[in-house]
Amino acid sequence: MSRLLFIDDDIDFLEVMTLFFEKNGYDVETATTPEAGKKRIIDHKPDLVVLDVMMPSEFEGFELAREIREDMKLTDLPIIILSCIHDRKQVPYRFAPDKDYLPVDVFLDKPVNPDVLLEKVKSLLGEYREEPSHNL
Amino acid sequence: MNMDLHIGLVKDIDRSKKLVRTETEEFSYDKLILGTGSYPAMPPIPGHDKKGVFAVLKDISYLTDLQEKLKSAKNVVVIGGGFIGIEISDEIKKSGVENVSVIEIAEHCLSQSYDEEFCVEMEEHLRSRGVNIYTGSKVVSIDGGEQVDGVTLSTDETIPADIVILGIGAVANSDLAKKIGLRIGLTGGIVVDRAMRTSDPDIFACGDCAEKVSFFGGNSSALRLASIATLEARVAGANVFGIKRETPGTVGVWGTAVGELALGTAGLTEKMAKAHGYNVISAVNESVNRHPGKLPGAAKIRIKLVFEANSGILLGGQVRGDASTGEIMNAISACVQNRMTAEQIAMFQSGTHPLITASPIAYGIVNAAEAAIGKMVKIKESA
Repeated sequence: MSRLLFIDDDIDFLEVMTLFFEKNGYDVETATTPEAGKKRIIDHKPDLVVLDVMMPSEFEGFELAREIREDMKLTDLPIIILSCIHDRKQVPYRFAPDKDYLPVDVFLDKPVNPDVLLEKVKSLLGEYREEPSHNL
Repeated sequence: MNMDLHIGLVKDIDRSKKLVRTETEEFSYDKLILGTGSYPAMPPIPGHDKKGVFAVLKDISYLTDLQEKLKSAKNVVVIGGGFIGIEISDEIKKSGVENVSVIEIAEHCLSQSYDEEFCVEMEEHLRSRGVNIYTGSKVVSIDGGEQVDGVTLSTDETIPADIVILGIGAVANSDLAKKIGLRIGLTGGIVVDRAMRTSDPDIFACGDCAEKVSFFGGNSSALRLASIATLEARVAGANVFGIKRETPGTVGVWGTAVGELALGTAGLTEKMAKAHGYNVISAVNESVNRHPGKLPGAAKIRIKLVFEANSGILLGGQVRGDASTGEIMNAISACVQNRMTAEQIAMFQSGTHPLITASPIAYGIVNAAEAAIGKMVKIKESA
């Protein structure tokens, strides 16, 4: 059973995600601060991390992603950023995965359809099976 | 042609009723093509939202505001040494700004699409035109109060800036597609097949908003170029009422020009090909694009071709020279797309004329292929 770690300061969101992903066969852990998330990563070695950005100000999630890659040297741990920063900031540009500046695998905007997040989780864990085309 | 043009902001698409809604109108469709473009990418650097920080946004009023502010600027910093970064920095320098600096995180500007020798020549050319270049440098903060006044690099060096411009690339604008539940790929683009169909068989997507696969190996490609977008538009448009075309994937063909120096690239560089796992042989040819070479308008052209060593198939090529670089780059792209071998390129029948091409005995693409064949033969003989 793959173990997912959600790091987010929105407790309601964590509850919904836990219910949804446990129902889909995952072992789900949560943390409400970057510090607690870091400890969970070291102690429990999750298979994938879903990370919020604004906890509570602007850059905590980005900074934690950098720490995971550079300080903790976990270069293979899949990271999904899930944030409402684009909507909240109303900026004319987008933050996106970048090996130097934002070393994560996927950037998703909140609110997200849980099925979309599930598809991304499965893709990154190598569990995604696309339906074959039947008309070719 | 029986076409109508309507200008408006699409608010929603009803896939079950096949309706597109703007604020004021409603359109029904049998087939729909999405071409929602891209957003500029922004690195999450503290201070990104200060006044005076600009992305390269395709919006006339935004860019007019930038142009106005540049008139009184003394120090401009451009983050990103790709083609957007180097071209915009040269234009700003030409407009009279005192200090223009490009900050590139990689070892060289343009290094994602050119081998080192081409990058170094462009960097030296830019420096000779008064642009400061910092390579291997990461921006850790954009500084100032409400208004930007500088940037700090990871080396603790600070560079003053009245204006900071970001040119690090683009990401798909798939907002509308997400809203209506189309499948989105790992790089954030709308998932399409080679016929440009989305996960809804009646909706196509093309251009920067669509997910791309590489011509080499088929992995996701983050390249976003106008030439790719228009190719995909020709595929999607042809396929709307029956599949006639498929995209071969992104070869990666693009040029850049600063003053008299132009560079062009198609396919893989030697460095990229090696990183891809190919056994590579490369060859370089230098020739003049007129014959005799003393004719007015003659320019030195350097062509580098990169081949897979065992099959002799062309993987990519780069050109430096004058304006004629553009069409040489495109000829190389045609060879790459058709998976031509060095032997086939050596047999290339070129048309030549003293005033418009290189000499038939010094034709760059052919002679670079011949040089590569010579290397391949030597390796086989010594094996």
